[in-house]
Amino acid sequence: MNESPLIRLADVTKVYHLESGNFTALDHVTLDIAENEFVAIMGPSGSGKSTMMNQLGILDVPTSGTLFIDGRNVAKMTPLERTHMRRDVIGYIFQKFYLIPLLSAYENVEYPLILKYKKRDNTGKAAAVLKSVGFDEQMSSHRPNQLSGGQQQRVAIARALVNDPKILLCDEPTGNLDRKTGFQIMDILVGLHKEGKTVILVTHDPKIAEYAHRTIVLEDGRVVES
Amino acid sequence: MKDIFLDLSVRSVRLNFLRSLLASIGIVIGVVAISSMGMLGANMQLSVKQQLSSDVNTIMISSDVVRTSSTAGTPQTAEGIDKSTLNDITNAAGQNDVIPIHNTRTQFTIGSTDGRGSIYGLDPNDITKFLTIAQGENIKGGSDALVGPNIANNFNMNIGSRIKIGQNNVSITRPTVRVAGILATRGFASDGVNTDNAIIVPDTWYTDHYGGKDLYDQVNVILQNIDTINQTEAAIDDKVNRKTNVVRISDASSRLSSISSTLGTITTFILAIGSISLVVAAVSIFNAFILGIIGAGMGGICSLVIGYSVVSAMIGNTAYFFLPESIMYVPYGMIIGVVVCVLSGLYPAWRASNMDPIDALRNE
Repeated sequence: MNESPLIRLADVTKVYHLESGNFTALDHVTLDIAENEFVAIMGPSGSGKSTMMNQLGILDVPTSGTLFIDGRNVAKMTPLERTHMRRDVIGYIFQKFYLIPLLSAYENVEYPLILKYKKRDNTGKAAAVLKSVGFDEQMSSHRPNQLSGGQQQRVAIARALVNDPKILLCDEPTGNLDRKTGFQIMDILVGLHKEGKTVILVTHDPKIAEYAHRTIVLEDGRVVES
Repeated sequence: MKDIFLDLSVRSVRLNFLRSLLASIGIVIGVVAISSMGMLGANMQLSVKQQLSSDVNTIMISSDVVRTSSTAGTPQTAEGIDKSTLNDITNAAGQNDVIPIHNTRTQFTIGSTDGRGSIYGLDPNDITKFLTIAQGENIKGGSDALVGPNIANNFNMNIGSRIKIGQNNVSITRPTVRVAGILATRGFASDGVNTDNAIIVPDTWYTDHYGGKDLYDQVNVILQNIDTINQTEAAIDDKVNRKTNVVRISDASSRLSSISSTLGTITTFILAIGSISLVVAAVSIFNAFILGIIGAGMGGICSLVIGYSVVSAMIGNTAYFFLPESIMYVPYGMIIGVVVCVLSGLYPAWRASNMDPIDALRNE
């Protein structure tokens, strides 16, 4: 194992302060994920999977403990630095795709480049990434509502990849797809892992989890299997 | 960078065409509402200003004690502005014209018809300084008289007609005056000399029959330069009201500014009501849109806009609508419309940009 893992959670606890009382979603979690690992996170509802993904995606910070991503302590970063890390180091793939309905498939993929470089893409990168997930030029001009679920998820994967992130966070990426399409999407993720990406996948489905090389099981906010 | 956001905006408008169209109509209604209300207020102000501004260069001075008078021939019993005070006013007024005025109400008879109106006693030389003779000529003295246009019309009077002044009583022989001229219409005069329903006689004739020689009901000072009104009023006040308040001094200008101020407040109030109505109307329109109530409602929207225009056109006199003071409310309305649009775009953008990413995903 690499001496300095890409992701390190050290005694991470996340507590939500609710009207009904404090709720501990993550309870003293210690975990390392190395670069180019393919990890599945499993567990029943309420076990802390979403909270774990929010932490790994730098959408939230721990209540206590430390979280290092790509060698940096997330709690010590400014909001802008966290935003830039989300943009440059992490690619997100969601169950509901979250494509921008106003934009074509191409423009959805181009948008992260525009946000990063403050100009439209003239390098052909967006088109190349789309091609890598099986989209030709004609299909790239379609809006999300003109695409099937599987096609939308391919666009979402292309969007996650376009800024060349080290980490791909996939939250139930096949949850809205039929079985066959789900496996096709998983094949793409396997390919990306082979190209060097670190893939972290949250799923309820043991068949999908079998694609990963390592499974982390959560229960009541604790890691019970890693 | 610049073009993609413009592209997105245009595309958003195209994709939500009906909603954008309704929003535009809402904004147009708002601009029209605010502009029309502002113009309505400005119209009122301009209209009143024009009525008052013809005599705005006149200072009116009256005795601080209310004076009463009786019928012709009866001695004066109450206070007025005396000769000494008139001299003080004349000195304080400098180069400006000073018009001493006798005035009372009287009965009169023309032919066999009795009437009632005001009678003014004026120095014939002063008359043309502020009154206009429409027919005939000015009085020279003696028993000549000028009459206001209402009396002339109501009693079918001509130059040379005769008027018996005083109460119609068989036991008294009443003095008679001869009509030398008929005055032009003045309307409501802000200098206090309302001549449309009055008889103007020489001051000597007036004091011979009503008494009160060297005792005046009112003195008007007609200014050569309106900008000196405050200092002239102050000079008269210093001179005449040095020890006690002998006279009351007023002018059309102060009344005008008071009225203008009141109308300005009314205009602001109307605009405020208009703005609130605009918000309520906009919310109603968009709610109606969201609820799908106005599926076939373009006719209704057109009726609203056209109805609004008709109401605007019907309100008051439109003669001033295209003057700069009135038309300036159009850009005001447009500016308010732009500000409302920008704010209603900025606020959700600001909220979205400050939203927690997890909340944003949850809301999605």
